[in-house]
Amino acid sequence: MSASNTPNGGAGRDVAVYVCLLILAAIQFVISYQNISASSMFARMFIVAIIEGALALLFFMHLWENRGLRWFVLIFSIATTLGMQYGWTDSYRQLLGVPWAH
Amino acid sequence: MSQADLSIHGQVSRTAATEVMAAPAFSIPAKKMAMWLFIIADTATFAGCLVAYGFIRNGTPDWPRPFHSITNVAIMTFVLLTSSLTMLMGIRSAQKGEKSGAFRCVMFTALLGAVFALLHIREWLELIDKGVTIFHNPFGTPLFGAAFFSVTGLHLLHVTGGVIALVAVGIRYMGGRYTADDLEVTGLYWHFVDLVWMFVVPLIYLLNMSH
Amino acid sequence: MHDMSAHAVHHGAPTSFIRKHIFSLDHKVIGKQYYALALVAVIVGMVLSWLMRLHLGFANFAIPGLHLLSKNGAPGDIMTPEYYLQLMTMHGTIMVFFVLTTAPFAAFGNFFLPIQTGAEDMPFPHFNMMSFWVTFTGFVILMASFFVSDGPTLGGWTQYAPLSAVGAVSGPGQGTGVVLWAFSIAFFCVGQLFGSLNFITTTLDMRCKGMSLMRLPLSAWAWFITSIMGLTAFAVLMPAVILLILDHIAGTSFFVASNLVINDSLLPHSGGSTLLWQHLFWFFGHPEVYIAIIPGMGIVSHILITNMRRPMLSHRVLIYSMGALAVLSYMVYGHHMFVSGMNPISSLAFSFPTLIITIPSTIVVLIWLGSLYGSKLRINSASLFALGFISMFISGGISGFFLAQPSIDILLHATYFVVGHFHLVMAVAAIFGIFGGTYFWFPKMTGRMMNESLGQLHFWLTFVGAYCIFMPFHYLGIAGNVRRYQAFVDDYLIPLIPVHKFITVAALATGAVQLIFIYNLIYSRFWGAPAPDNPWQGTSLEWSTATPPPHNNFGDKMPVVYHDPYQYSVEGASSDFIMQTSPEPVHSADEEK
Repeated sequence: MSASNTPNGGAGRDVAVYVCLLILAAIQFVISYQNISASSMFARMFIVAIIEGALALLFFMHLWENRGLRWFVLIFSIATTLGMQYGWTDSYRQLLGVPWAH
Repeated sequence: MSQADLSIHGQVSRTAATEVMAAPAFSIPAKKMAMWLFIIADTATFAGCLVAYGFIRNGTPDWPRPFHSITNVAIMTFVLLTSSLTMLMGIRSAQKGEKSGAFRCVMFTALLGAVFALLHIREWLELIDKGVTIFHNPFGTPLFGAAFFSVTGLHLLHVTGGVIALVAVGIRYMGGRYTADDLEVTGLYWHFVDLVWMFVVPLIYLLNMSH
Repeated sequence: MHDMSAHAVHHGAPTSFIRKHIFSLDHKVIGKQYYALALVAVIVGMVLSWLMRLHLGFANFAIPGLHLLSKNGAPGDIMTPEYYLQLMTMHGTIMVFFVLTTAPFAAFGNFFLPIQTGAEDMPFPHFNMMSFWVTFTGFVILMASFFVSDGPTLGGWTQYAPLSAVGAVSGPGQGTGVVLWAFSIAFFCVGQLFGSLNFITTTLDMRCKGMSLMRLPLSAWAWFITSIMGLTAFAVLMPAVILLILDHIAGTSFFVASNLVINDSLLPHSGGSTLLWQHLFWFFGHPEVYIAIIPGMGIVSHILITNMRRPMLSHRVLIYSMGALAVLSYMVYGHHMFVSGMNPISSLAFSFPTLIITIPSTIVVLIWLGSLYGSKLRINSASLFALGFISMFISGGISGFFLAQPSIDILLHATYFVVGHFHLVMAVAAIFGIFGGTYFWFPKMTGRMMNESLGQLHFWLTFVGAYCIFMPFHYLGIAGNVRRYQAFVDDYLIPLIPVHKFITVAALATGAVQLIFIYNLIYSRFWGAPAPDNPWQGTSLEWSTATPPPHNNFGDKMPVVYHDPYQYSVEGASSDFIMQTSPEPVHSADEEK
C-alpha cells in the first residue's frame, strides 16, 4: 500500500527478518544431518518451514499491517496445512494397510 | 446524511470530485487483491503437488536418497532469500520516490532470480548426467525423478515467470507507466516464490539427502 | 487508492464487430458468450444422454447414423460397450464442467455480478476475456476427442486411476482420449482461475457508493462464495491433471502401481498410487458440486424474493449458510472414497462433516419454505422454476442422508441410487436454477420478454419429466443395479429392464420438451415483446439501469445505494418496493447499516 499509508516498519526490520530466515534455513540444513527417522526429520523441518513461511508472510508480504487479510490467510494456511497432513498420512494405508501407523 | 447532497435520485456523476465507489474490503486495491488471490490459488496448487510427492514418497518403502552435497541447494536458498531482501529494498526506495535506486534494486532482484534459475538448471543437468530423468532413476524408484522434476520444475517455472515479470515491471516503472504499487504487487509474487522454496528445500532436497 | 481501481476498468465502447462480439472486454458480452457455450454444451450433453438411454432401454438398438460419429464405436449403428462408456464419460464431463459450472456461475455471474455491485465492469477485463476464450479452447479440445482415431476416453468423468493413467492398453480412448480430456480440464481450470480473480475483486473492491457487503443481493453473494471455492478447488485439480498428463506423455507413474497386468501385458510402470488420484480429484470434486449448486441457490432466492414481494426470513443466515456449505464442502471429500478401503476411523471422520453439511442445507431450505409460507407468490416461469429447484434440491438431498453413512453407502455405492441422487440434487436442480435465471433475466440481457405461456408449459413438462427420469434411479439402485453397466444380462437385473425402458422414454420426451425452451429463447431474442427497464418490479441494481444495460452499465451517472437489496412491502412506503438507489427513507429495525 503505497506512500499514502504508514511505511511498513523500516529497512532495519527487513534485514532482521532476512537474517532470521537465513538462520532458520540453516537450522533446516542442520536437521538434515541429525540421525533420526525420516518422519521425525520431516516433522522438525516442516515446523521450521512453517515458522519461515509465517515470517515471510507477516513481514515480507506485509500481512502484519493488514488485520482483515491476516485472519483470512491464517485460516486458509491452517486449512491447507492440515489438509496436506491428511493426504500424506493416507499413504500409510498403501504401505502397511493401516492408516496413521508408523 | 451527507450522501444526499452529492446525489440526486440515487446517482452520482462520474465526473464528480467525490468518491463514486465504496471503500474496498480489507482496504486492499483490486490489483493487490488479485495478486493475493492468485497466491492463494497457487498455494493450493503447490500444496496439491507436495501432497502428491509426500504421498508417493511415504508409500514407497525403498525411497532413494540421491543427494550427497548440500552446497548447491544452500547457495540457491541464499540467493533466493537475498533476492527477497533486495526486492523489499527496491519497494522502499520506490515508496520514497527514489526511482533509479528502486529500478536498480528490482533489476538486481531479477538478476539474483536468474542466477537461481541457472544454478537450478545446472543441478538438473547434473542429475540428468547421472541418469536421473522424469521417468528413470538409477538409484531406485523412478518416482523420485518424476516427483523431483515436476515439483522443482513447477517452482522453476514460477521463478522464470517472476524474473520476466520483474524486468517488465521494472522497465515500465522506470518509463513511468507503473507505480510503486505495481512494484509492490510484483514483490508479493516474488516473496511467495521464495516462501514456496522454503517448503520445497526440506521436503524435496533435505529429506532425500544421504550423508 | 480505490478510485485507482475504479479507473482501471475504463475502456471505451468498442466499434469493430470483433471487439464488440468476439474478443469483447465487456463483462456482459462475456456473460452471454458463456451462456451460449453452456447452451451448445448442454445440447451435446443431452444428445449423448439420449444415445445412452436408447442403448440401455432397448438393448442393441440401432441408432441411425451413429456409425458416422464413430466407425469403430458403433459398427452397424449399434453401440459397442466401450463406446457406451465413452459417451457416458463425455456426458459427465461436458455437463459438470461446461454446463453446471459455466452457466449459473460464469454466465449469469459475469453478466450480473458487476451490475449488482454497481460497477462499470470487472477490474481486469482482459483476464475476463481470456477466461472465456481459455474455457472455450478447453471445450474445443474436449470435442476434438470425439474425432481422434479411437474416440474419447471411457474412464468416467472422475477418471479413476489406474484405468485413466495406463494409456491405450486399457481400452479405446485411453491414450489420446485421456490426454485430450486432461488438457481440456487444465484449460478449464485456468479459465476458472481468471474468472474467480475477477469475481472476488469485483465483489470486494468494485462496489458503488453505499453498497456495503451485506447490501449485496443474495445472487451476488452466491457468486462471490462460489468464486472463492472456484479459486481454490480448481487449483488442486490442476496439478492432478498435470500429473495425469505426465503419466501419459512423460512416462512417469504417479497413479499406476507396480506390476500391473492389463490385457495380458505387464506394464512398465512402478510405484505409483491409485489412491492419490482419488484424493486429489475428490478434494476438487466435492467442492465442485457446490460450485454447481450455490449459484443456483442465490439465483433462486433472488427470484423468489422478487416474486414473493417480501424478503427472506433472514438475509444473513442465508448468506452464512451458503458460506458454511462452501467451507464444509472441502472437509467431506472422503465420502466419495468410503469403499476404497478406508479404515473405519477415516470413514467416520468424513461421515461426520457429511452429516453436518446437511444442517446448512436444511437451514437454506427451511428459510425458503418459511418465507414462502403465507406469501402471495406471483406465479410465472421464473418463480415456477425456482420452486422446482427447491423441490429437486429436497428430493435429491434426502437421499444424501443415506449416502453419508458409510454402512449404507457401502451397499449403495456406485449404483443407480447415487446416480439418481446427484442428478436430482446437483444436475437437475442447477439446471432449474439456470432456467429460472434465464426467464428472470432474459429481458435485462436482451431487451425482450420471453413468452410466458410457453415458459410455464416448459416448466410443468420438465418438472414431471425430471422426476419420471430420476426417481426410478433410486429404486434401481436399491435393487442392486450398478451404474456404468451398458447392458443388463444378470438374472437379478433382467426384471429391471422395464424400468429402464420407462426411463428411456421419459428421458427422450423430457429432452424433446427442451425444444420449447430453445424455440422460446430464439424467438423471443428476435421477435419478443420489448422489455421495460424493470419488468418484475425488482429492487436490486440491475433493475435501475436501462434495458439492455449500456456499455458502462449505468450511463454517465454511477448509482448510489441507500438500502438493503430487498425492500419489498415496506410499511408506509410510496409503493410496494423501494429500489436500492431510491433515497426514500425506510424506517425498519431490520435495515442493515
